[in-house]
Amino acid sequence: MTRFLVKRLIGLFFILLGVTFITFILGYFAPGDPIKESMGDHFNPVLWQQLRHSYGFDLPWYQQYLAFLVRLSHFDLGTSFHPQQRAVWDILKDGVPISVELSLWGTIVMLMMGIPLGIITALKANTWIDTLSMGASLILYALPSFILAVFVQVLVLWIDKSGVGWPVSGWGTPWSYDWSNIQYKIVPILTYGLAGYAYYARLTRTTMLDVLRQDYVRTARAKGLHENIVIYRHALRNAVIPLITAIGLLLGLLVTGSFFIENIFSIPGIANITVAAVSQRNYPVIQATTIMVAIGVVVGNLFSDVLYGIVDPRIKSE
Amino acid sequence: MGKDEKEFTATAPDTSILEIGCAPAPEILGLDTLDGPALAEDTPAEIAASHEGQGRSASPLQQQSSKKHPSPFGASMQQFRRDKRAMISLSVLIFLILLALFGPPIYQHIGAVYPSDLQGNIGPAVYHTYDHQELSKSSQGPSAQYPMGTDTLGEDMLARLMQGLLISLTVAFLVEVVDVGLGVTVGVLAGFYGGWIDTLLARFTDLIFAFPGLLFAILLSGIFGPTANDYFTRLPLIGPFLGNGNASLVIVSVALALVSWPMMARFVRGQTLQIRQQQFIEAARISGTRDIYIMYKHIVPNLFNIVIVTSTMNIAGTIIGEAGLSLLGLGVVHPGSSLGLMIADGMDNLDLHPWNTLFPTIILTVIVLAISFIGDGLRDAFDPRSRD
Repeated sequence: MTRFLVKRLIGLFFILLGVTFITFILGYFAPGDPIKESMGDHFNPVLWQQLRHSYGFDLPWYQQYLAFLVRLSHFDLGTSFHPQQRAVWDILKDGVPISVELSLWGTIVMLMMGIPLGIITALKANTWIDTLSMGASLILYALPSFILAVFVQVLVLWIDKSGVGWPVSGWGTPWSYDWSNIQYKIVPILTYGLAGYAYYARLTRTTMLDVLRQDYVRTARAKGLHENIVIYRHALRNAVIPLITAIGLLLGLLVTGSFFIENIFSIPGIANITVAAVSQRNYPVIQATTIMVAIGVVVGNLFSDVLYGIVDPRIKSE
Repeated sequence: MGKDEKEFTATAPDTSILEIGCAPAPEILGLDTLDGPALAEDTPAEIAASHEGQGRSASPLQQQSSKKHPSPFGASMQQFRRDKRAMISLSVLIFLILLALFGPPIYQHIGAVYPSDLQGNIGPAVYHTYDHQELSKSSQGPSAQYPMGTDTLGEDMLARLMQGLLISLTVAFLVEVVDVGLGVTVGVLAGFYGGWIDTLLARFTDLIFAFPGLLFAILLSGIFGPTANDYFTRLPLIGPFLGNGNASLVIVSVALALVSWPMMARFVRGQTLQIRQQQFIEAARISGTRDIYIMYKHIVPNLFNIVIVTSTMNIAGTIIGEAGLSLLGLGVVHPGSSLGLMIADGMDNLDLHPWNTLFPTIILTVIVLAISFIGDGLRDAFDPRSRD
């Protein structure tokens, strides 16, 4: 296990190095001069030179990259172009809690919907419940989150035509849950869950069906165990293994999925910060968010691998 | 009922992904690829004999039996044709493609002459174009002049929808050309030779998997999009087609192709590894066939199944990706049209004119579902594992 972990951690380091290199080089070769643009009409060659120097743009690329890495290793994400000289951390710190909150609750909703539905449909395989639920998840699985978000928003507006003025954009205060905040949060969170649950429902159903066909389940039934014990203790435990890995693997999808949900519902999270930064060519912010997302995905993958080894000890020996 | 069950068992995750030590996140690209047939443990002769190219390489026994029964390829096609959902989806898709290609020229000949704000009286050749603005007629409902109404700038919704459809399909096509070309080339080389190509591919896919594909596409099109727009508009021959805000579709295609080909390469590599061990390759080698000829004549034709299934699945992801980028304002921009851009444009007036958003969303839903269902049908028909 230790060897495996060390190996994976080394691999992770190189992957992150690659990610930082890609983000750096994209920013380096990008057309346009962000400093000139941010100065706009007040262009002043002397100030321009000073700013270039203070951002380190007058150095050759490898020195810039090295300096970038050194700053990163001190968790210093640099200063933003737009607004000028504001620390990148300062810009991100408003958005990150919101995005984390959305993904966290969204994932919980997703699992709470997907796994029970998968179990139910597996137990009721080939009945109308199964057909109906799997038909729905087949469609939801194929559709991207932003299509669902649009439909949900239209639906909310339509239901609420003469009513209380349910908000369909914005987020409220992060991590506080009084009624007006819940009003903001519940629709995006449910949409998030709806966009992702189908994958889990389908996966749970498949693995459950596989496990239910195993001999030991028949044995458990044959010796007269209660059906609940057979299902929840014998079958579900084994069916849960692929689900655990899937959670880690899906992280990347979740991140981009929440990008669109944040955009459609105008939630001021990390996605909107990134998109705004991209259109303003605010490279320090772009680099910071990209690296953060990549770290999240890589760590998620590692986490699911480790968890996989814990749940299924056979993996460890390999 | 039995068929229904088959579809979903095909999504069982393949743990052999982890055993081989590949980066374990195909889902990141938004593809349904965990169940990719590449890593199937069984290598039935069906794979080997799945295409016309198999004639010389298949065993005599199979050649004999293929006279009585349809060839494996024919059998797969037969099964695909029996799949009602896939066939309906295919006809919908063909209709949409025809609509995108031939709809606009026909549409520009339909309609009476109407007065315009600035140009006097204009015919359908003017007001039925996707970029003609008629500000006094903005946000209208359906009328004789505009069958599907107008958007907030007074542009014809139907013309914009057809143009957006064309953009979606063009991007899907461009991306798929690169995806298949690059993916098959690198995949076959990596699988056939192993060595440094294989290592490089593995590292590169690891990197791409760690980098959510769409985020990379966002970066690339956000940073290079505006410049590309200026650049392509100035080009002599293709400028008129690519200008008008459509230039970013090239950037978007490049970005989406860059993040999608490693997946294809990895699947092709897995399949090549299996085919390479088969006896007909050995026989070809012993008889002194050159490597390049073995790859081109014996391996590539046998990759048909996996390539067709993977690329169909990928097309859905590409169309979603293009719409998503345009939705974020990083893809096609005004006065060009794209389904994603139309959705974004309509979002501001969702409470007053929901149809401006709903029309493109519905079209996008239909096209994505159709392609996914065709992909499912192809997988059921061409993936030997899911066949009885």
